[in-house]
Amino acid sequence: MKGISRVLVANRGEIAVRIIRACRELGIESVVTVSEADRESLPAKLADRAVCIGPPAPMQSYLKVDTMVAAALGTGSDAIHPGYGFLAEQPQLAEVCATQGLIFVGPKADDIRKMGDKLHARKLVEGLGVSIIPGSELVSHLDEAAEAAERVGYPVLLKAAAGGGGKGMKIVEHPEDLRTVFDEASVEALSAFGDDRIYVEHYIPNARHIEVQIIGDRFGNVLHLFERDCSLQRRYQKMVEEAPSPAVSPQLREAFCEAAVRIAKHIGYENAGTVEFLLDQDQGRFYFLEMNTRIQVEHPVTEMISGIDLVIEQFRVASGDSFSVSQEDVRLTGHAIECRINAESPNADFAPCPGKMTAWKPPAGEGVRIDSHCYPGYFVPPYYDSLLAKLITWGRDRDQAIGSMLAALMDFTVSGVDTTIPFHRFIMKNPDYLTGQVNTGWIENSLLKEYEKNEGNQFR
Amino acid sequence: MEDAFMEGIDQDDVIQILRMLEESTFDELHLEMGGLTLVASKSSKKASPVEGLKSDDHESTESGAAVEPTVQASEEKPNTPQPSDLDERGFTAIKAPMLGTFYSSPKPGAPPFVAVGRRVAADDSVCIIEVMKLFNTVKAGIRGRIAKICAENGQMVEYQQTLFLVEDLDEAAETGEEENDS
Repeated sequence: MKGISRVLVANRGEIAVRIIRACRELGIESVVTVSEADRESLPAKLADRAVCIGPPAPMQSYLKVDTMVAAALGTGSDAIHPGYGFLAEQPQLAEVCATQGLIFVGPKADDIRKMGDKLHARKLVEGLGVSIIPGSELVSHLDEAAEAAERVGYPVLLKAAAGGGGKGMKIVEHPEDLRTVFDEASVEALSAFGDDRIYVEHYIPNARHIEVQIIGDRFGNVLHLFERDCSLQRRYQKMVEEAPSPAVSPQLREAFCEAAVRIAKHIGYENAGTVEFLLDQDQGRFYFLEMNTRIQVEHPVTEMISGIDLVIEQFRVASGDSFSVSQEDVRLTGHAIECRINAESPNADFAPCPGKMTAWKPPAGEGVRIDSHCYPGYFVPPYYDSLLAKLITWGRDRDQAIGSMLAALMDFTVSGVDTTIPFHRFIMKNPDYLTGQVNTGWIENSLLKEYEKNEGNQFR
Repeated sequence: MEDAFMEGIDQDDVIQILRMLEESTFDELHLEMGGLTLVASKSSKKASPVEGLKSDDHESTESGAAVEPTVQASEEKPNTPQPSDLDERGFTAIKAPMLGTFYSSPKPGAPPFVAVGRRVAADDSVCIIEVMKLFNTVKAGIRGRIAKICAENGQMVEYQQTLFLVEDLDEAAETGEEENDS
């Protein structure tokens, strides 16, 4: 690959494995950074080289910009792939890479910054004629918040300006709850993002989360790869994703994709990105939510329906090439679903469950894909997020993809740590899910209650 | 996720956590959840703080909010050599407290901090590790005689990579002074 012969993979877990495999396919050497807790990890075994960057705590390892850059320079790497999470949306890393002559496999620092500030992004997008959810400017005290909430209408969401990825949001159902929630939200925003700026947004109860995968090159071209439906969430964390969305008609799809491309083209966006929208199912309208300036966890469902390897495309555009395909050649074929298999106990309020994995028998078969860093005997460390694997199935249509997913879930054996597998089996058998009658609140408001009634027993 | 974890911890949880520590490769565990602090150690040895960091912001960032973890790691891996650092020939290793570029002398052209055969005291500087123009002086952390220099000038060293092997000079005196002895 032009200009890239060795890549520093500045991440861990399944995404590090995913990136290392793409490197192998491209004939690029990979160096993976590991904390002390990840020395024996699968990425460390698969990469051409692993370098230890620090102790287990992310603040002292995976979140250290200077250490990552020193590791890249010290190992003779010419590029850094940040994966998702950790430093992926830290403009400082993209910036330092530029000054040190390293290729950052991701967007320009300035674009990360622009889209990272949610209020700035809203303004920019509104100026392009894309609807945004009725909301306020920054509110600095309670009176302003109350006024804004009255204007946009209850229920409202209090959102941290520096938030994102489902973090830093709180619902207020009634005016009398505003004071308490406002104080909580400010304190939380400050501690989580170091920034207590908050704004108010109208809350749409019957909404679907629809996002469009885009990728831009250095020449101002932007390609879209259709939408993903990520409406199945718990506490704003996605659990199941699929593509295409069962709620999106061809006309609506065109409108979503056109809006996403318009936004990306306007800022001259480079590399992979996702434009997120909320689809109000009662009003039949959609609104811009935010843009994520990274490869996303759920990118495989898009790969399965488009046949395009997004990580390889990331490397192509980062090296100054254009895409391997043109928009006219991108076809949506079949249906794909992804279940996030986490080390969490669905029967104990999804409490994280680290520990030693005594058995790990993932399913296989036609149209079944597993993205994972696990192996039998692996110790799931308690320092990082709980994602163990992404189980993805593809089918000619949605029914086939669901059937295949259920079969794969029944075939998936993990011992030693609790996982979300039983909960996913429950979802895949639920009539509302089968007919696509869901919204972003469905898991918490409806499914979890049913699951608790059943205690999930027959799904273990 | 975090909320769920914070809600409460009972005796079974503690036993499970201790069992996990037992099976893990770590020696110590520091766990803080809400008002609860759990500190557990496999052996009776106590970790001593990192020494020899001159201009690094390492220590001050430790209390910063980590984005990902629900459980904080054992924060300090001692730079000061521990009995476990003894290799088969009976040498003690001085290990890199961070990833960076190893420099054997204070500045280019200057004589190296130490050479093979040189006696060092715990407080003596032995090398510099540079991380993006930030120069961190590394102290020996142990007294003895430098038996081998394991890193190359100007090359990158990893976190916890062995930089020097140190030969124990006066075992009796050492043991007498050893604060970490159990």
